[in-house]
Amino acid sequence: MVDPKFTSQPSRVIAAGFEIIRTVRFRHDVAVSLWEFVIGFSLAIVIGVPLALLLGRSTVLRYLLDPPIMAIYATPHLALLPIIVVWLGIGMQSKIAVAFVGGVIPIIVNTVAGVRGVERSWILAARSFCAGGWDVFLKIILPGSLASIILGIRLGLSRAVLGVVVGEMYQSQAGLGNEVMRYGSEFRTDYLLFYVLLISLFALAATSGVRALEEKLWTPGK
Amino acid sequence: MKIAQTKSAQLALGIVSFAAILLGWEAVVRWGWVNPFFVSQPSAVAASLSRAARSGELGHNVAVSFREFVIGYGLSVVVGILAGALAGRFRTVEYSLDPFLWFLYSTPLIAFYPIFVLWFGLGVPTVIALTFLLSVPQIAANTLHGIQDVNPGLIRAARSFGATDRDLLWKIVLPASLPAVIAGLRLGVGRALMGVVVGELFGATTGLGYSISYYGALLKTTDMIASLVVVIVLGVLCTQGLSALEARFDSWRVTD
Repeated sequence: MVDPKFTSQPSRVIAAGFEIIRTVRFRHDVAVSLWEFVIGFSLAIVIGVPLALLLGRSTVLRYLLDPPIMAIYATPHLALLPIIVVWLGIGMQSKIAVAFVGGVIPIIVNTVAGVRGVERSWILAARSFCAGGWDVFLKIILPGSLASIILGIRLGLSRAVLGVVVGEMYQSQAGLGNEVMRYGSEFRTDYLLFYVLLISLFALAATSGVRALEEKLWTPGK
Repeated sequence: MKIAQTKSAQLALGIVSFAAILLGWEAVVRWGWVNPFFVSQPSAVAASLSRAARSGELGHNVAVSFREFVIGYGLSVVVGILAGALAGRFRTVEYSLDPFLWFLYSTPLIAFYPIFVLWFGLGVPTVIALTFLLSVPQIAANTLHGIQDVNPGLIRAARSFGATDRDLLWKIVLPASLPAVIAGLRLGVGRALMGVVVGELFGATTGLGYSISYYGALLKTTDMIASLVVVIVLGVLCTQGLSALEARFDSWRVTD
């Protein structure tokens, strides 16, 4: 009733999957995409969390940096793709940058909210027991805002995955997004669907992993 | 008094921050530290914007993108709230809708754009479809949660005073779930904007996203940044508008 060119069918997608998995190219693509995601997102965590902890503690700094951060937050971060490609070329660097930009903003926004949400009376109590600035930071602010940091990581994660895939679809030489683009423009719907499902599964699994971590941290009696 | 002071300090520092970015950007290019080919400069971007505005190109692109946004987002508001409300009312609907919501939410939908082009044709309809599909799960999920989180005590109290289903909907469920629904609308705006811009980046022949990618391909950095600035300003305006709406509808709520 329906032309398989438009929708494909489950059996074809599975067959295509078996065919694809066996190729060397597939392993290369997975490695490239995964690597771009891991580097970009790790950078987002390593830079985003300390920066946000700083912003949460310093009012002046927050007022200074909040408007530009909010402006980027309100913009679809993938709109930056063309300019990033002009700056960094069509190789892995540009995807790493897009994954970084996508991931870092939710991490900053949520971490700042977490730091500011830490009970003031705890900080005052610690101070009155002669805790130094470093003690307050390590023993109160960091644990107190951990849940928000992890929430930011979870929200940033799917944006970073999207950044890598769409970045590869836009301009690239390898990677899962590159294959999506290629099979998409050849209208090989079965191959296309296999890659898309693979990416969704990865995003879903990673997000669920972080969510499980979140729930573990939130369980009472810790 | 204290709050007014904080507000004005915040505003002043925000302005300082943007002024510093613009001046620093202009300065590093003027002094020749950075090649204007890569970053352009604010004065050139402003000139490009005013040229595009006078030639009508800017107005046309904004109009196209805005129309796609309004239709796609409008559809997803109607469908999302309806689907979320039905799922909140009927368990069977919730269970049958849930996997689709999850799939739509976590799939990089943009990957389907070649198929969308095949289905709907290149350009506006494909962009509208992407916009709709990106924003609808957010709105539906928030509506569903809003309805499920209505305090059951309120419903029982109303019931015991003889409220009908319709009374419950209009007087309890709707007002109580409104903040969650509006939060969904705000988050949906972000995803809808993403749909418009990315849809145009790939599968369109006009619009703001298209002009970014068009000038990018020609390596005309100034014109590309000009379009990007317009996208950023529109994004901030849309999000701020819905945040204001959210604050207005949430103001009656007593926090406990």
